[in-house]
Amino acid sequence: MRGNSVKSLSTKIVLSIILVSIFVFLIIFAIFEKSNKEAFYDIEIEKANIIARTIEPLIALNIYLDMKDNINKIALQLIENPNILAVKVLKNNVVINDIKSNKYKNAVNDSFIVKNLIFQPNSKKKIGTLVLVYSNKNYKDLTDKFTKLMAILLFFLAVLFLLLGLYIKELLSPLRKIAYSLKDYSPNKKIDISFVSQNNEIGLISNALNNMQEKISQYSKKQQDINHYLEEQVDKKTLELRKQLYTNTLTKLPNRLSLLNNIKIVGNNGALLIINVDDFREINDFFGHITGDHVLNIFSSRLNEMFEQEDDIMLNHLSGDEFSLLFKKKPSIKEFTKIAKKLVRDVEKMIFFHENNELAIRITIGGVYQIEKALEKADIALKSAKKQQKSFLLYDEDQNIEELFKENMECVKLLKKAIKEDKIVPYFQPIFDNVTNKIVSCESLIRLIDENNNVISPVNFLIVAKKSRLYSNLTKIMIKKSCLYFEHVNCDFSVNLSVEDILDNETVDYIKHQIKKYNVAKKIIFEILESEGIEEYIEISVFIREMKALGCRIAIDDFGSGYSNFEHILQLNIDYLKIDGSLIKNIDTDTNAQIIIGTIVDFASKLKVLTIAEYVHNEAVSNKVKELNIDRSQGFYLAKPMREIKTLLSHQ
Amino acid sequence: MKKIIFLYLILTNLAYGYNYDELLLKAQASIFPKIMLLDKKIEDKLINGKVIYTIIYDKSDFYTALEIKNIIDSNYNGYFDKYKYKILLVDFLDFSNQTEASAIYVLNSDKYIKKAAKIAQEKGIIAFSYGIKNLEKGLLFTLMLEKSTVLYINKESLYTLKVDFVDTLLQMVRFIDKSDAKNKTIYNNKPLWENITQIVSNKYIAVIYN
Repeated sequence: MRGNSVKSLSTKIVLSIILVSIFVFLIIFAIFEKSNKEAFYDIEIEKANIIARTIEPLIALNIYLDMKDNINKIALQLIENPNILAVKVLKNNVVINDIKSNKYKNAVNDSFIVKNLIFQPNSKKKIGTLVLVYSNKNYKDLTDKFTKLMAILLFFLAVLFLLLGLYIKELLSPLRKIAYSLKDYSPNKKIDISFVSQNNEIGLISNALNNMQEKISQYSKKQQDINHYLEEQVDKKTLELRKQLYTNTLTKLPNRLSLLNNIKIVGNNGALLIINVDDFREINDFFGHITGDHVLNIFSSRLNEMFEQEDDIMLNHLSGDEFSLLFKKKPSIKEFTKIAKKLVRDVEKMIFFHENNELAIRITIGGVYQIEKALEKADIALKSAKKQQKSFLLYDEDQNIEELFKENMECVKLLKKAIKEDKIVPYFQPIFDNVTNKIVSCESLIRLIDENNNVISPVNFLIVAKKSRLYSNLTKIMIKKSCLYFEHVNCDFSVNLSVEDILDNETVDYIKHQIKKYNVAKKIIFEILESEGIEEYIEISVFIREMKALGCRIAIDDFGSGYSNFEHILQLNIDYLKIDGSLIKNIDTDTNAQIIIGTIVDFASKLKVLTIAEYVHNEAVSNKVKELNIDRSQGFYLAKPMREIKTLLSHQ
Repeated sequence: MKKIIFLYLILTNLAYGYNYDELLLKAQASIFPKIMLLDKKIEDKLINGKVIYTIIYDKSDFYTALEIKNIIDSNYNGYFDKYKYKILLVDFLDFSNQTEASAIYVLNSDKYIKKAAKIAQEKGIIAFSYGIKNLEKGLLFTLMLEKSTVLYINKESLYTLKVDFVDTLLQMVRFIDKSDAKNKTIYNNKPLWENITQIVSNKYIAVIYN
């Protein structure tokens, strides 16, 4: 209540008036006190001076006439003045008269001293000094009276302002009452505001508030109707949007968001299959999006038909060509796998018709037999299945694919740091001629030096580099460092290039620039990896042609590991075929490998392409390689990759 | 011997001249020149740049006049303030309008006081008087030793002279008219023996001190 009182406008006004008036009064009091006291002081001093000035000629005359008695008489007369405490007359700085009153001792500390020079009558010659000790009693009396008067005045003014404040507060009290009554105002509750009869501003305010109440009440009723209508509309729309939020707009099946919600609801007792339509992009590309959408619609309907009887299985359409089946209750693992595989087979049998087109689709399924991070794991399984070209793959918890991803992330960090700190270096492995047993060239192999100066093999980072788009950086580093190294070394050297490198114009331009810069065109051999299969023969052919024009040579690396078209490769005008290590490593015992290699060597020799055996890791293999007429050998049995090869070359 | 001769002279003087109070003479000799300088028109009264202070005496008072001159000379040493002065001793019989005087000091006389006062008024100069009674005969100023030193001025003469005293002087003097002067008791009216005793004692004291 006290808090409210202080916050009220009337109290604030009253307090403000009091504070301002106190402030103003204090200032006025201080100024008056100071100025009047100074004035009183000046008056008293002036009075003393007037006395001194008045008496001075008489004293002067008596000094002049040497009438000391008269001086004494004058002094005695002066001292009769109650304000004069002492009179001292000096003639040429010698005291000739010094009279003090009875009050002198008690009052001397609070007195003024007035000095007046005495001049010879009818001349300006100084003949003495008159000193008056003048009591300040009058001054004190005056100032005391003045202070009392001011205090009384201030007191009455303060009372006056207080009364004024109270009067203002009283005047404003209706406003406060109105404010209190308005506190509980609501459009549905009419408040009776009195003071309407008052013929002043408060009366006007009361009238205005009453009118306002009427209008607000009318407006509120209208507003309530509108709100009611809007709320209904919003509810409808919300329902619609909610439905849209959890529904795929094309197939009207529950979408990914719905799946995520359902996974949460299912708890631990669930399993998930993610179904992806293989090469669906091609359907869109060849037949158009309308056909694609049509196929998806029919496919979703058929899936729905297949599982609509199953209460524990929920079908969702996750994205364009991706669907899911969420099992609310786990079937047995066998049943789960069976359902997935059956689904693959059933879909393979489906035929879709659209505008005289007969279409068939295949699907790949990734499954997870537990519900924690089910979507991610099923997705990993799906990708693995695609990679392994399997129609169904179940996520294997033991493979710890998730951990592998984390490691990959760390690997990317390590790679980036190594590139930044120039820790990517080439190691050189010699390649020997199988007839002369001499080094004919060296292969530049990439290595990473870690923080502890350990040499890291590319097996550990090359795949991650490809995925993280750092591969082209590594290729450029290897090209530059190898070219720099062999600039002044009289030996051929080979550098590995992936198909991606060759397809990247920027990398190709960089290679050309480095070759020219270090003048190594005649020494360099590009080893194009065949292991992942070469499909872009035209682009690779252009690259080979350009490089050959510069004087470079070309080798196909890991030949026999991929599934490239053998005939096409041989038409690429290459210089070397490096036979894949998987064929070589057991060549001394594997008769099938011997037959394949024999065929490769035969073809190659007809095309005048030199063959190189990799992975020559023991004497038996080495001997067999030579026996099979492979031209060159490379492997740990002959020489390991090394940081420096110049010494080895110089000893040949 | 010297004292005997001096005593003889005194006694001769007493026998033939007027009686004078030595102390009063000294006081008048020292104060009157100063009062003369309080005249704002003193410059008009200079003669050849000098203040001429003329002592008018009866023949029998020559030595008294001479003594006054000596007192003044010893006090002022040739200068009244910034003005050079000259003291003339003039017998009443010789005193006329032609006598040089910036101010006159008139000793006692039975016959010639009025004459001296008249000449002073004609010349417009201050006329100091030894005795207060002489003021009723027209002299301007005198000094008496009462409980304290008192200056008397003849109110009637003041306005007829070409004298303009500083205002303060007029505040401290006592104005006197003819009736006041008659009533004033002065040593001259004392019994003779009292006067003699006083004069002798004064002289004696003066001699002793000198």
